[in-house]
Amino acid sequence: MTRCAGVFVAALALIVAFGAPMARGQSGIQLGDMNGAARPSSFVRFAAESQTVTARRLVDLELRFQIDPPYHINSHTPRSQFLIPTTLTVQPASGGVEIGEATFPAGHAYSFPFDPGNKVDVYSGSFIVKLRVKATPGEHTVNATLRYQACDNASCYPPKTLPVQILFTAK
Amino acid sequence: MVVGVALVVWAGWRNWRAAHRAIPIAMIQPMQAPAAQQGEAKGATTNDAAAGVSGLRGKQAPAFSLVDLDGKRVSLGDFKGHPLLINYWATYCGPCQVEMPWIEDLSRKYAATGFEVVGITYDAEVGKATIARAAKGLGVTYPILLSDAATEKAYLNGIEVLPMSFYVDRVGKIIEVSPGQGSKEDLEAMVKETVAAGN
Repeated sequence: MTRCAGVFVAALALIVAFGAPMARGQSGIQLGDMNGAARPSSFVRFAAESQTVTARRLVDLELRFQIDPPYHINSHTPRSQFLIPTTLTVQPASGGVEIGEATFPAGHAYSFPFDPGNKVDVYSGSFIVKLRVKATPGEHTVNATLRYQACDNASCYPPKTLPVQILFTAK
Repeated sequence: MVVGVALVVWAGWRNWRAAHRAIPIAMIQPMQAPAAQQGEAKGATTNDAAAGVSGLRGKQAPAFSLVDLDGKRVSLGDFKGHPLLINYWATYCGPCQVEMPWIEDLSRKYAATGFEVVGITYDAEVGKATIARAAKGLGVTYPILLSDAATEKAYLNGIEVLPMSFYVDRVGKIIEVSPGQGSKEDLEAMVKETVAAGN
C-alpha cells in the first residue's frame, strides 16, 4: 500500500511538472495566464440609462462607465505629464439644455508589476462622471465623447474615444 | 513517499514561478474590428494582422527609413551586420517607461558585441520636444525615431500593443517578436540570444 501511494505521488509529480498549462507562443514569449481571452475591441463601455431630473434647476447627471477587466485607464488627473488623462467633451446642447461642468471621481493608485515604486492614478472596474445641467421640462439628449487610454499589467494601447449619448427627462 | 511529495511541491513551485514571470496579458492577437464608435484607433485589424506581426519571426526585418529627433534620417541598413533591438514605444506607455532604462543599460553592456538599439515612437504626433523630454527623462541615449505609416504597417500591421520589440540578428533576420513588458532578466536573455544568433 505504501509502495502504491509512493508510485501515485510520483506520477502526480510528473504530471504537475510536465503538464504545465504554459505554452510558448509563436511570438516567442510565454503567453501565460491569458484566460483564453482575446484582446477586446474596446476597453470601456457606457451604461446608457435614461435619467429623470428636476427641471429648471442645476442638477448632476450620472454617467456610468464600465472598464473591462483586466484593463485600467488613466484617471482624469494622472500623475505624469506624459500620461493621457480621461476626459469628457460635451457637444453644445440646444433645446433648453444648459451644460455645466463635468466632475470626475478620484482614481486609485496603481503600479506596474516590475515598477512597484512608481504609482499612477487610474480607474478600473466602474466609475461615474457627473455632468451638471439645467434643463427645461421635457425629454433631452446630450451628446459627448469620452477620451481615454487603456493599459493592462504589461502593455498599453493607443488612446481611444467613446461616443456617449445621454438621455434624460426633466420634470 | 517523501521524495514524491517533495517532487510535487517543487514542480508546483516551478510552475507558479513560470506563470508569474510570464507576460500575462499582452498577446499577439488581432484587435477585432472595433465598433464604429471607438474612433481614433489606428488600423483596426483582422486575423491577418496577428499573422502579420507574429509572422515576422524568422523573416528578414522590413526596411525602414525614419527621421530621428535631430531631423537626421536613419535606416535599417545603417545597422547592417549588427544585432539590433527595434523597440516600439510611446510617451504615454507606462510599461515602456519601465523597460527603456533597462534597454539603455543593456545597450551599453553589450555595446562591445556590436549590439545596437533603436526606439521608434508610436506617438510622433505629440511632437519632437515632448518625445525628447520623455526620452531624456528616462536616461535614453540610443536613437529615437519618429514612426511613419509605412513602417507601422510593416512591423505592427495594426497590432497596437506597446511596447513591441523586434530582435534582429546580424544578418537581418527577426529572431523574436515580443509584445508587452517583461522582466529585465527576460530582456537580457533575449539580447544575449540576439547577439549570439546569425554568426
